[in-house]
Amino acid sequence: MKSRLMFLPLAGIVLAGGPAYATVYLSVEQAQAVLFPGATFQPDNRVLTEEQAKAIARASGVDVRSKQIKAWRASTGGWFIVDEVVGKHEYIPFALALDEKGAVKGIEILEYREAYGDQIRNPEWQKQFVGKNSGTKLQLEKNIRNVSGATLSCKHVTDGVERLLVTYDLVLKEATPGH
Amino acid sequence: MILYSKKRPLVTERAQPWLGTLVSIRVQGLAKREAHRAIQAAFGEIAAVHRLMSFHDRESDLSRLNRAGIGDAIDVHPYTYEVLQQTIELSAATRGCFDVTVGAELVAWNMLPRPMPAGEMPHGSWKDIKLLGSYRVALHRPVWMDLGGIAKGFAVDLATDCLRRRGALQTIVNAGGDIRVSGNHAESIQLSAESAEDHMAVLELMDGSVASSIGRLHRRWQGGRFRGPHVDGVHRTPALTDRFVCVTAERCMIADALTKVVMVQGEESAAILRRFDASAYFKDSGQPWQQLETERVMAE
Repeated sequence: MKSRLMFLPLAGIVLAGGPAYATVYLSVEQAQAVLFPGATFQPDNRVLTEEQAKAIARASGVDVRSKQIKAWRASTGGWFIVDEVVGKHEYIPFALALDEKGAVKGIEILEYREAYGDQIRNPEWQKQFVGKNSGTKLQLEKNIRNVSGATLSCKHVTDGVERLLVTYDLVLKEATPGH
Repeated sequence: MILYSKKRPLVTERAQPWLGTLVSIRVQGLAKREAHRAIQAAFGEIAAVHRLMSFHDRESDLSRLNRAGIGDAIDVHPYTYEVLQQTIELSAATRGCFDVTVGAELVAWNMLPRPMPAGEMPHGSWKDIKLLGSYRVALHRPVWMDLGGIAKGFAVDLATDCLRRRGALQTIVNAGGDIRVSGNHAESIQLSAESAEDHMAVLELMDGSVASSIGRLHRRWQGGRFRGPHVDGVHRTPALTDRFVCVTAERCMIADALTKVVMVQGEESAAILRRFDASAYFKDSGQPWQQLETERVMAE
């Protein structure tokens, strides 16, 4: 094991493409293949009515921000749903796989955006770098993709899953063969 | 040779919510299909730790221990047993500064939910946990253990071993900032510490683990004083420094556990760090960075 502590100037980062980077883990198609190997998918999108949205919020205790439900039926049985939750700063898109009985089969985060610390988000702090020379531009998006010491709760994701489980119960279940 | 190849090596990366945080796994040196199989298996290991060591799940090994009667021999999974063995070794080495039974204080300060059925707050310590062999555990006095941090590190280690067994050359597993890197490339990891205004602290790490802790994070004003999640196991008081601690060690479980010791003991933890072959970088608010145990630091 080897380690070394370094201090990198932040000026380059802000100019080199914004205060955040995004890691794309899986496309929708890749997530489908990973969660339902060998299956084919039939889109079955829904738009929630006002009443359905209220019922889902009441039963799950989680706000329903969007009435659009992006869902697919898997040929091998079960549902594949793509949704997003609001993280600390950004939207986090994720995929949920439900088996034919509506139990969670898997959750995959599709994309994650990470800020380089809160200080960089502060416009006052950022202003000091506007117009500065980017000669020592750091390609941090490529090089630094992990943060240690940040608080990273997954509560927003588990809340989102809870909301989708209720959505399944109230809206999608009756469309599943056998129900 | 991948190291000098102009072609970018194939990278496969996925993330799932486990252990109360987002866990990401990145793999290089495997074809997509094999990479996904390896990652799937590694997430399986993390899921196992999640189920066995959750404070919140009534059926976890941990919850069964937290409500066990005095002297009952409780059967646990070999993983749980291994983590308990390690925590006892750490507690003995730190004379109780590291002690997973501070779960009782965290419940009393409303940082963890009361285990059900909730008895009185227990006053046992790590010395009351007896490992009986054959993956059985008994308690001399009731305890409420919290394996949160160390279980996260353990899960990262298991996942890394799993990926390596399946032929991955370069891997990085990150469970909410508990990170293990394996392979021939150094990874750069940002430390979310307050640093000089215009600089950011970055750790370059090769074939090892890092875990970090921020002293004032999640601190709350409660009952006329501040309470926080970092507890001094000996005095049972919250560590209230404005300290940022980063520990590197081969195994992530050790790195995570030792952040708690450095948080409380600062410079005095140098001997403990040496014993576990670990290094620490820490910074108190308004003070320069300090480094403990420097022997294996990367050459410039």
